[in-house]
Amino acid sequence: MAKWGMVIDLEKCTGCQACTTACQMENNRLPGESWQDVLFYTEGKYPNAQMKWIPRPCMQCENPSCVTVCPTKATYKTEDGVVLVDWNKCIGCKYCMIACPYGVRFYTDEKPLIEPNVKDVFKGDGDLTWNPPYKGPQQDNTKGIGIQPSGVVSKCNFCYHKISKAPKGTVNLSNDDPALREFVPACVRTCAPTARYFGDLDNPNSEVNRIIAAKKGTRLLEHTGNKPQVYYVTGAGAAGGTVIPGGRSSKDKA
Amino acid sequence: MNILKLEVSRRRFLQATGTVGAVGAVGLAGTKLAGFSTLSEAQAAAPGASAETVITKNVCAQCPARCGIDVYTTNGKVHAIYGSYDHPISNGKLCPKGHLGTYLLYDPDRFKGPMKRTNPKKGRNEDPKFVPISWDEAFKTVADRLNVLRDKGESHRFAFLFGRGWGPTDVGLYGPFGAMYGTPNAPIGHSSMCADASKLAREAQEGFYDYHSYDYKNTNYLLNFGASYLEAFRPYNYLMQMWGHMRTKSPQTRVTTVEVRLSTTAAASDRALFVKPGTDAALALAIAHVMLTEGLWNKNFVGDFADGANHFKVGMTVAAAAAEAAKAAKAAAAAAPAVAATAAAAAPVKGKGAKTVVLPTPPGAFNEKWTLGLVEWWDTVVKSATPKWAADITGVAAKDIVTVAREFGTTRPAMVIQERGPGSHSNGTYNCMAVNALNALVGANFAEGGVMHHSGAPYGKLPVDYNEFKDDYAKSDDRKKPRIDLVKGPDLPLAKNGMQDIAKNHLAGKPYKLDTMLFNMTNPIFTAPDCKVWEEALKDIFIIGTSPYPDETNMYADLVLPEHTYLERLQVCADQPIHGYPQAHLRTPAIKPLYDTRDFADIIIEIGKRMKGPMAEYYKALGNHENLVRALAKGFEAKPGSNGVNSFESWKQKGVWFKTPYAFRQIRGEFFEWDGKAYAKPMTEADVKYKLFKTISGKFEFNSNLLRGNVMGKKKAPDGSYMKTADGKDVMELQKKDTDAFINKKLGVTLEQTGFPQYIPAKYTGGGDLHFITPKTAMNAEGRSANIPHAIALQQPSVGGRTTVYLEINPQTAKAKGIRNNDKVRIKSALGTIEAYARLTEGARPDTLVLPFAHGHWAQGRWAKGRGPGHSGEITANQSDPLSGLASYYTGMVSIEKA
Repeated sequence: MAKWGMVIDLEKCTGCQACTTACQMENNRLPGESWQDVLFYTEGKYPNAQMKWIPRPCMQCENPSCVTVCPTKATYKTEDGVVLVDWNKCIGCKYCMIACPYGVRFYTDEKPLIEPNVKDVFKGDGDLTWNPPYKGPQQDNTKGIGIQPSGVVSKCNFCYHKISKAPKGTVNLSNDDPALREFVPACVRTCAPTARYFGDLDNPNSEVNRIIAAKKGTRLLEHTGNKPQVYYVTGAGAAGGTVIPGGRSSKDKA
Repeated sequence: MNILKLEVSRRRFLQATGTVGAVGAVGLAGTKLAGFSTLSEAQAAAPGASAETVITKNVCAQCPARCGIDVYTTNGKVHAIYGSYDHPISNGKLCPKGHLGTYLLYDPDRFKGPMKRTNPKKGRNEDPKFVPISWDEAFKTVADRLNVLRDKGESHRFAFLFGRGWGPTDVGLYGPFGAMYGTPNAPIGHSSMCADASKLAREAQEGFYDYHSYDYKNTNYLLNFGASYLEAFRPYNYLMQMWGHMRTKSPQTRVTTVEVRLSTTAAASDRALFVKPGTDAALALAIAHVMLTEGLWNKNFVGDFADGANHFKVGMTVAAAAAEAAKAAKAAAAAAPAVAATAAAAAPVKGKGAKTVVLPTPPGAFNEKWTLGLVEWWDTVVKSATPKWAADITGVAAKDIVTVAREFGTTRPAMVIQERGPGSHSNGTYNCMAVNALNALVGANFAEGGVMHHSGAPYGKLPVDYNEFKDDYAKSDDRKKPRIDLVKGPDLPLAKNGMQDIAKNHLAGKPYKLDTMLFNMTNPIFTAPDCKVWEEALKDIFIIGTSPYPDETNMYADLVLPEHTYLERLQVCADQPIHGYPQAHLRTPAIKPLYDTRDFADIIIEIGKRMKGPMAEYYKALGNHENLVRALAKGFEAKPGSNGVNSFESWKQKGVWFKTPYAFRQIRGEFFEWDGKAYAKPMTEADVKYKLFKTISGKFEFNSNLLRGNVMGKKKAPDGSYMKTADGKDVMELQKKDTDAFINKKLGVTLEQTGFPQYIPAKYTGGGDLHFITPKTAMNAEGRSANIPHAIALQQPSVGGRTTVYLEINPQTAKAKGIRNNDKVRIKSALGTIEAYARLTEGARPDTLVLPFAHGHWAQGRWAKGRGPGHSGEITANQSDPLSGLASYYTGMVSIEKA
C-alpha cells in the first residue's frame, strides 16, 4: 500500500492558481471555498519590494491533529495515507478546523463569499447543498467526495476518487505515464510549470523522495509534530528567492 | 434535533446517489482507462452506453492562446476540462481560466435563442425588453435591412466589428461578405485596442507585420519589456510550462523584467526594473549604447568594423571616433617608431613570405552583415543615449542599466520580448522598435533560443470563390469609400485598424454615419478607451449582437443572434504565433447546443443566403459551416501533420494539425533551411529576403525603409498602365511615399531620423499628477470570466482580492493623500471620475496608480453586473499612436482623493 505524498516546487510555481480552479471544478467547490489555495504576500520597500506566494493544499498529515480531536471519528486517516472526512458522521462542530495548524478545512454553511449565492442559483436536491450543472459523476459521502450535505466540514482529499483507482504498486503518479493520467490529482495534473509531484513516500526510489532529497524538502510548521505528507522545495530561481515559511531554505542566504 | 434530521436525510441521499457513484467508479476502473474514449470511438459505441465518459477535443476560448482541451462529458453533461496531451501548446496542462470553461457553457444568464428589442430607448439603465423571435425572422430582418441600405447606395454604412477572431470559419467570412455587399467596413478588427505597435515595429524592421514566435526552451536570457509573461501574455499556459523549464534547467535562464509595477512576472524574475510609463525606448537605447560601446553586439549576425577596433565611443560619431583613433595611432607610432617598425617587419613572416595587398578602408568602416544602418543609428540616436541620460528619463538607476546591458550582451542565446507595455503610448511604435532592435544586436533573429516568424497552415480551398459573385454595384468605383475608422487614409496611413475611433467618427458624421453594425467577440462599448462615447454613438445605429451572454453590446442590441458557446462549436482556430511551425486547431462540440443558438459561420451564411443579387448564390454554394471545415481539412490530405492528421475525421479526433520543426535557423550569422534531417540547407541572401526579412534591404533594418517612405511599388509605363514582365508579373520599383513627412508632422521627428528606433517623450493624457496603469489579471485576461463567480473569488494576487480588484497605490503616495488601506477612493481624469478601494503596496511606483482593466461591468450577467470598482476605460482618454493606431491605454494621468 502506497503512502501518498506531494512535493511542491516553489522554484517553478508561478502563482497562477490553476491548481485552485482545477480543484474547484473537479471537486465542485463553492466560489472561494478553495481546498487548494494560493497565498500571496509582499515584503520590503519600493523599489526592492518582493512578492511571494505559496500554494496550500491539505497537508494530509502523518499525525493529523484534526483526526485526534474529531468527536465522532468522522475524520480519519486511510491506509494509503490520506485524511478524509465521512460526511455521514460529521456533525459540523468545527473542532478540526481549530485544531488544524494549516487552515485548510472549510465549513459548508458559511456566508457566501460572492453574491448572488450560487447555492440559490443552482439549488441542490435531496441532501446536496447545491447542484452545479457541471457536477462530476463522482459522489461518496463516506470519503468526503463530491458535493457535501449541509452542516459538515470539507477539505482536500488528494482527489481520492482518482488516486484510489490507480493500479496497485504505482510509485510515481505522474502525467508522464499516459496510462496513469486519469488518476493524477487535478492540481498535479494541470500544473503548467510542473511544480507538483505526486507519489509513494514509502518507496525510497519514488520521484517525490528523490526530489525531497535533492532539493532539501521541508514541511510547514514542523514544530507542531503533525508531519505533513506535503513537502516544499525551492531554489535560486524562485520568486524573490522564496524561502519556505517556517522551514529551512534550500537557498544559502549567508 | 437538527443534527438528527440532517443525519436521516443524508442517509436517504446516499441511497439515492449510490448508483451514480457506482457507475462513476466502473467508468474509471482499470489501468486502460476503461470508459474513456475519443469522440470518434464514442460515436461508434453502442447507444446504450449512456454512462460512458466521452472526451471531445476543443480549443479554449478564454484567451487567444489556442490551448487544446479535453472536454469530459458524462450522461450529456460536461463536467471537466483538462489540457490535451500531445498538443503542442497545452501539453496536458491548463491555466487557471481554462478549467472554468464549463461555467461559460452553463452560465445561467445566457440567451436561450434569438431576441428582438422592443424598447427603442437605449442606455445603461434602459431594459431592452427583448422578446424571442425565430431564427428565420432574425435572418430576414438583417437581410432586409442590408438590402434596403444597398438599394439606396449606402452599403458602406454597414460595419462588421470583431474582437477575438478564431480563423477561416469566422474571420475568414467577413472580408468576402464586405466585398460582395460593398462596404469597406467588413471587417474592422480590434487589433488597434490590442498590440498593433509591436507589429508595426516588426514590419518596419523585419518586414513582418505580426507577433514573434519565441524559442523559450533554449534561451538563456530573457529581457522582458512589459510583457505580462506570468499573467496575460499569450499563450499563458505554455509560457508557464516554459517558466518551469527555464528556471530549473542548467544553466538557469536569467530573466530581467522591465515593468511599471510589481507584477507576478516582475516578482518572479531575477531582476525587476521599474520604469516610468512610456519611457521604455530610452531604457532600450541605453542598453544598446552600453552594448555597442563595450563591443557586446553579435558580430556574426550584425557584422563588425573593418579594422576590428570598436569605434562606438560615447558621444562621438563613428567617423569622428575613428579619425581620433587614427590620429592617436599616428601619434603613438611617431612616439614609438621602433615598435611600429618591428611590427611591420614581422608581418611578412606571419604571411609566410607572401606579399599582402592591404586595400585602404575608410576609417570606421563597418561591414554590416544582416542588419542595415547600425552606424547611422549610432551617429544619430544611440551615441548620446548614455545610461545616465536614460536614468533621468526612466527612473531606472544607471548602474542597473549597465549591469543588464552587460548580462544581456554576454549571455547567449538571449532575446527580448515585449508587448503593449511599451506599445500603448503615443510613442508606442518607436518604443517597440527600440526594444526590438536589441534582438538584432544579440543576433536573436531566427537563432536557437531566439525569435522567429511563424508559418501558416496548408488549408484546403473553399469550393467557391467570392470574387466571382461580385455584381457591378460591388465592383463600381462608387464603392471605394473610406473606412469608418479612417485607417489607410491621410490621418492613419500605417494603421491596420482603428476600432476605438468608430464611435467618435460616427457621432461627428466623419466620414459618414453608420446605419447598422454587427459585433462578434468584441465589446468596445465597455472596453474602448473613453467608452462612454460609445454609449451615445450606438443609440442611433441598428446593433446586431452575436454574443450568447448579456454583455454591454447586447444591452444596446436591436437584434441578438446568439452564437454557440465554444464547447458547442465545430470551428477552426488558426494558429497564433508561438513555435514558428504551422498549426491548425479544431473545436468539436462536446454536446448538442443547450439552447436555440447557432454556429457563427451559419449566422453569416444564412444572412448571406437572404441577400439580393449573386452573393446569395455564393452562400447557397457554401451551404453551412461544416462544409467550410471539411473543405479546409482537405488541405491536410496532401500534407499530413506530424501527429498523422490528414483528414476531417482525424483532425476532429486529435484536435490539432501541426508540422514540426520550424523551417529556418540562423546559426552564427549564416541562414539555413531544414532539409528533412537538419538545418543544413544554406540560404542565399535572396532566400532570406524572400522568406524571412521581407524588408527592402532583405535585412533587419535599424534604419527602417518603411518609415522613411521607401516602398516597393508597381512600376508604371509612360501611358499610366502597369508594366509587366515577360511572364506577366508586375514590374516592381523603389518608390517614395511621404511617410517621413507624416511622422515629422505627427511626432516632430526630423525627416532624416524617421527610420531609427528612438525615444520621443510620450504624450500623457488626463491631466492628473499620477500615472494610471490598467493591466490585465491572470484570472480575467480577456474579460471572459467576468460572470464566473469562481474567477471573481480568485482575483488576487497584488491588485486582486477575493471578491473584487483593488487600486494599487504606493504607501508613501497614499500617506501624502491621506489614504489608508481599504479606503474608498475617487480617481479623476479630465474625462470623469470612478471609484475603487485602495490597496497600499510597496510594489507600486510612487508616481503610478494601478487598477486592473475590464472590471466594473454594467452588464454581462448577474455576477458581473454592478460589481465594483469603476471601470478604467471611463477615465482613459482615447488617444492613439499615430503610426500604428494603437490606443494609448497606459498613458493616462489621474489624481486621487479619499471618497
